[in-house]
Amino acid sequence: MELKEELRKWRTVLIVIAAMILVSPFFAWAAEVVGYAEPLENAAEHLGAIEHEYAIISGIIPDYTIPGANPYASTIVAGIVGCLIVLCLGFVIGKALEGK
Amino acid sequence: MHIPDGFLDPWICAVMYIISAAVIGYSARKLKGKLEGPQVPLIGIVAAGIFAAQMLNWPIPGGTSAHFVGGAIAGILMGPYAGCLAMASVLTIQCLVFGDGGITALGANIFNMAIVDVFVGYWIFKALRERNRDVSLFLAGWIGIWLGAIAAGIEIGVSSIFAYGLTTTVSVMGIWHGVLGIVEGIITMLAVRFVLVRRPDLVPVQKEVMA
Repeated sequence: MELKEELRKWRTVLIVIAAMILVSPFFAWAAEVVGYAEPLENAAEHLGAIEHEYAIISGIIPDYTIPGANPYASTIVAGIVGCLIVLCLGFVIGKALEGK
Repeated sequence: MHIPDGFLDPWICAVMYIISAAVIGYSARKLKGKLEGPQVPLIGIVAAGIFAAQMLNWPIPGGTSAHFVGGAIAGILMGPYAGCLAMASVLTIQCLVFGDGGITALGANIFNMAIVDVFVGYWIFKALRERNRDVSLFLAGWIGIWLGAIAAGIEIGVSSIFAYGLTTTVSVMGIWHGVLGIVEGIITMLAVRFVLVRRPDLVPVQKEVMA
């Protein structure tokens, strides 16, 4: 299988991706501790736009957390689910553009 | 930098959707029938790496921070067209599955992070790589995200919710992301070097077909 062979060549990169998912809950925790806010939110706050923020689609895993679940575990699940979906979507796009 | 629903006026949402759809369509057409061998799974692998890296918020105290975006890396590793498609995939899934970035603002978010960051990053790398590869990678990551942030500042600044405060929005986005973008530049340099050490075969391939 060609894809399997190709993924083997990417082993180190895939390990790094897995490691980033594993440490992501600590970054989420640290972000909460320091009061993480992006410049976009600060600008919105400054100009009184922040109260107009809403979400038409909150998604199946809103804000990378599964409601009611352990926050650490749910961030990891969100990372795994997200990575697998974009990996598959990317493969589909790659296949669709592949030369005959 | 993911703009939520409610920030942009409908007309700017529409304009950004049209521009982004056109660039995505053009990118797909440019690559149609051209991907071969290792290039086929590359879009998925780069997209997965960028998705994971975007989950790591930089915990900078003081309430103004950011996370890695990665458009320049995508553009450099795969060329701007495939890079654009990979980044657009990440942003679309973040919006639909995780509610990160609004559906009405998806066109704008794709423009800022999957088009400006990717193409600018790629062009800077291409223009300067012969002189100094590391400096070109750093500048690609830094200036790519900086201009992407300024684009976001313009989009919100011409919207009524932000009281048409264009000067404020562009300064806030430009100054902060200009400073935070230095981190993006450093990560871009290290990440591309890391990948190229492991897969040096990708560079010549990318040069011929994907750019």
